[in-house]
Amino acid sequence: MSYDEWFRTDRLPHIYCAGCGNGTIINCTLAAVDQMGWKKEDTVFVSGIGCSSRAPGYILTDSLHTTHGRALAFATGVKMAKPAFNVVVFTGDGDLAAIGGNHFIHACRRNIDMTVVCMNNQIYGMTGGQGSPTTPLKCLSSTTPYGCAEPPFDLCELATAAGANYVARWTSYHVKELEKAVKVGLETPGFSFIEVLVQCPTAFGRRNKFRQVADHVEFLKSHSLLKAKRDRLIDQGQPVPEDMFVVGEITKRNRPAMGVKP
Amino acid sequence: MTRTEFWQGNTACAEGALAAGCTFFGGYPITPSTEVAELMAAKLPKKGGIFIQMEDEIASMASIIGASWTGARAMTATSGPGFSLMMENIGFAVMTETPCVVVNVQRGGPSTGQPTMSAQGDMMQVRFGSHGDIAIIALSPATVQEMFELTVKAFNHADKYRVPVFLMADETVGHMREKILVPDSVEKIGRKPFVPGNPPFKVTDPDLIPGFPTFGTGQHVHVTGLTHDERGYPAATNPPLHAALVKRLVDKIENARDEMADYDIVNPEAEQVFVAYGGPVRTVMQVMHDKKDKNVGFLRIRTVWPFPEKALLEFKNAKRFLVPEMNLGQIAREIERHVTVPVVPIPKLGGELHTPAELAAVLEEKA
Amino acid sequence: MKLSIDENRCKGCNLCTKVCPYTIFREGKRLNRKGIAVPELDRPERCANCRLRNLYGRQLCGVCQLTCPDQAIHWVEEEPYEPHKVAIEY
Repeated sequence: MSYDEWFRTDRLPHIYCAGCGNGTIINCTLAAVDQMGWKKEDTVFVSGIGCSSRAPGYILTDSLHTTHGRALAFATGVKMAKPAFNVVVFTGDGDLAAIGGNHFIHACRRNIDMTVVCMNNQIYGMTGGQGSPTTPLKCLSSTTPYGCAEPPFDLCELATAAGANYVARWTSYHVKELEKAVKVGLETPGFSFIEVLVQCPTAFGRRNKFRQVADHVEFLKSHSLLKAKRDRLIDQGQPVPEDMFVVGEITKRNRPAMGVKP
Repeated sequence: MTRTEFWQGNTACAEGALAAGCTFFGGYPITPSTEVAELMAAKLPKKGGIFIQMEDEIASMASIIGASWTGARAMTATSGPGFSLMMENIGFAVMTETPCVVVNVQRGGPSTGQPTMSAQGDMMQVRFGSHGDIAIIALSPATVQEMFELTVKAFNHADKYRVPVFLMADETVGHMREKILVPDSVEKIGRKPFVPGNPPFKVTDPDLIPGFPTFGTGQHVHVTGLTHDERGYPAATNPPLHAALVKRLVDKIENARDEMADYDIVNPEAEQVFVAYGGPVRTVMQVMHDKKDKNVGFLRIRTVWPFPEKALLEFKNAKRFLVPEMNLGQIAREIERHVTVPVVPIPKLGGELHTPAELAAVLEEKA
Repeated sequence: MKLSIDENRCKGCNLCTKVCPYTIFREGKRLNRKGIAVPELDRPERCANCRLRNLYGRQLCGVCQLTCPDQAIHWVEEEPYEPHKVAIEY
């Protein structure tokens, strides 16, 4: 596969821990980008701070590794100043939902033509495993040593409510589906948001009974509930399992967008 | 050719930006700088530029940095509280050597303070507000004419030195209307062209400024706020590299201190010397006009940072430096560092300019 | 085509052993010079992409490559005259 040539091979191997799924998500995103037939000089990758945000540093395009949470604001500047660019943003759950929450909802509202891939590992990985706005209830982290007491964000619902044109959720297990979802996101004019649940063996798994990477990936696989199936359960009046999360294409619509290529 | 207009300071600032070729404005409304954003919103789209009102000042600053990397001349305008929010990304702009212009029409602080009143309380914040050792350029206009001219100059300095440049106006100048001569065209100094083949942050010239590898030119530049090597790749755990990088970022501005010094000197033989920038310049001019005393000198500073300390040495007979400021003596302390004679701060808080009588009274005091 | 694992990039997470539909990858036992047990290949001639990519002229399966977080899995063409096993499925 030729998405290999999108890597800054002189910088590999990357800094991610063994078993971290962020590399998988970079692969899937680049595979989708490669299929778009975009030129490298017309593509800009933007990111904030965190594990996820190191990704643009490994991609052979112009890339902007910015301040914590502000990636979408920087990307807005890039895209509005030069709509001919293809802008892809890598971000994480802490970066996007906590410190960058305001920029997130406003980028969705403006519906700026960019694709955002959120690597949601449900924890602050780079600083050593603190609780994030997406840490599930009762999960352990270094700042929630007695179990997380705060209900988590559903980022996809948030993006949908704020007005994004395309919203999907997959996991790092569903590589083919993820690649297709990112491709649809890249093709969709307006704001596309793809949330990817990803294993973090070092900071999350170790404290939450996923000491083995495979166990966590198995959990992501077995607890994914396809949106179509969820809808069917609701139609049939059956209960939706509470410990599962919905995956699939959650929103696709055609709201007026900004910064679309001329 | 010039034409004569009767403009507000903020109007002159926006017109100056348009004349300088600003094509991107990311802003957020805040008194007393809002007129700049309003005028840009009205005029930029007609010139093919982009105006975008961001969700807060953090995002405004971020958006202009993003736009600047696409090659646009980008600016934002704000006042004290918004300026505080911008500090994070100002540091990013310094570290990544991103040209951009930030207009701060200062108002009374701390905190929300006096939204509609004048002050100069952000002069130290602009210099030292962002964390880490930084060097920036700050210009301070005293008239509507200077609002126009220094805005143009700010863009040229930003592009030339690859640094955020600040127009530190105050509410007095921003909201004052007076006569202005508007030139048909202004001088534009662009960015140093990038030599393809070089690493993007490699410095070859003695001015310590690397060429600008605009996004979209196929340079695959990685821009990061982390300590980076000359290829732009993170190298945050390399002590000598970090020291060399920060030293260079500061030196490229400090070395050009004389080159960008911008000041006027009146009566260099005087024993009592007023030093002023921004709004208080106007009061000092009135005092100078009233007194017509060869023994009263005046140093009028337009480039406040880097501070033009050589200008102070031109007053060889100076016995006292009198520094009227609309703060508790921020630049007075900087002047103290450079001279051996007493420096008398004349602070004025509350949002109004010094009256000529107040300054004249200090002049009469025995040293 | 044949499978190849880049020993410099592999961090030994063994995710490839979980995702290959043919279970071609097996957990490695021998530590390399970086102290990493790089997975071993079990009869790699069974790999669909190895067998059929040139025939179909496009990428087939490829889940191991997409999943590998460390970009360590690639397909390379055999050298001319390099002997290779052919697996035939009936």
